[in-house]
Amino acid sequence: MRGISKTSYAWRIAATVLGIGLLLNGSLRMSDDAWPVGPLSQYAFSPAKDTTIVITRVEGLLADGRRIDLPLRVETAGISRAEIESRIPQITADPSLLRSVADGWSSRHRGVPRLVRVWLVQDQTRLVDGRVGPTRLVELTTWELPS
Amino acid sequence: MRMLRSVGSWFMPVVPESRVAILRTVLYLFVIIDIHLFVRDPIPLSRHPELYQPLLIERLFQLPPPSVPLTITLYLILMTGCLVAASNVMPRLAGAVVAAAFTWWTAIGMSYGKVDHDHLALVVALWVLPTVGVIAERWRSTERSRQAGWALKCIQISVIFTYFLSALTKIRSGGWSIASWPESSILLWAIVRRPHGLGQFLLPYPELLHLMQWMSFTAELTSVVVLWLRGRALLAAAVFWMGFHVFTLAILYIHFAPTAICWLAFAPLERLGPWLRRVKASRGQRAGRRSPGHAMPVLRDQAIDGGG
Repeated sequence: MRGISKTSYAWRIAATVLGIGLLLNGSLRMSDDAWPVGPLSQYAFSPAKDTTIVITRVEGLLADGRRIDLPLRVETAGISRAEIESRIPQITADPSLLRSVADGWSSRHRGVPRLVRVWLVQDQTRLVDGRVGPTRLVELTTWELPS
Repeated sequence: MRMLRSVGSWFMPVVPESRVAILRTVLYLFVIIDIHLFVRDPIPLSRHPELYQPLLIERLFQLPPPSVPLTITLYLILMTGCLVAASNVMPRLAGAVVAAAFTWWTAIGMSYGKVDHDHLALVVALWVLPTVGVIAERWRSTERSRQAGWALKCIQISVIFTYFLSALTKIRSGGWSIASWPESSILLWAIVRRPHGLGQFLLPYPELLHLMQWMSFTAELTSVVVLWLRGRALLAAAVFWMGFHVFTLAILYIHFAPTAICWLAFAPLERLGPWLRRVKASRGQRAGRRSPGHAMPVLRDQAIDGGG
């Protein structure tokens, strides 16, 4: 068996105590900003029985007149839905931020007619007493691409 | 004093170093998969500096904002570092480089609004694995040490804390109430938002979803017990949690692969080498029987058994 010096032993105990302390502190007091020692908050909140569930999407008008969904995934638009969702206030204040989606999508779809306009939209599904209720489409903002 | 010593040996049990050598290979190769399949967006995200919001860790270390050259450099460092570290060569240097680069890479991936929590155990693993240092004979090592035991214990604690702390966060977010999360519409919410999995078939049954929420919450809250399990009970717990991950993958299309792979820190991986050698030997023996002219299969078996 390999030996272990007193110093080695001591710093390991100190690191363990510090690590566990940081993690507990993160979960009990901090926000996501403290990653990797923030709270483990994925799916950790408690939506009410009458909450409204939103799915944020981006739609685009092509030069040939078709209006299509631009799927918010890294492979299709270079950015994912969660990243866009967390920036909704900034995007509605400055719709040109939708350029990230438009550029990301266009660079991955070269053979398709060019994008003329994009919309930030939401499918809003209302829960009624804990069951799925009606869904409606809401337009949050729109941005016309410079030609 | 005796209590302090027993607490110390719980955190630093004596375990075979080959276990760490094998886990290094698996986890460093997994990081290569991870940067291609899971945290795969730092390079495309770095094209959008206007959306970057640095996390505390990036502000604390004053890390430069991500740019395309920076993220590509990190990618190349990770690829090279992982291949070197996976072969247990220069474990301290290569391991430390991978730990720092992967932490930064993942932090960049989480700096555009969405923070995931499936990487806690893997990030901890990458920081503690280099501390074991050089393991002579790597996978075949017969050495045992507390250094190896501490590294594995840290990974085990991080795996279990991924569950336990998420239960604490649920209690906190529900206004310090035990029942608010399990009684909420969270699974319904998640299934509506991710309609790709089998979960959509459960949408008409909110009572069943509540029952599932109670079960997973109870499992998470009591998960700490796993740290004291051994043998078959530990195996049963591991099978249960793997089943849990398969289940969430099936109904929500959410995987926790980086946490799941770290469950290997609980496994007696040191048995893998001798087992592989036995399988190889018995194959050799069978082949030997088929060809009568084969040179002394019995002797070769003895040498292999002796080496195991």
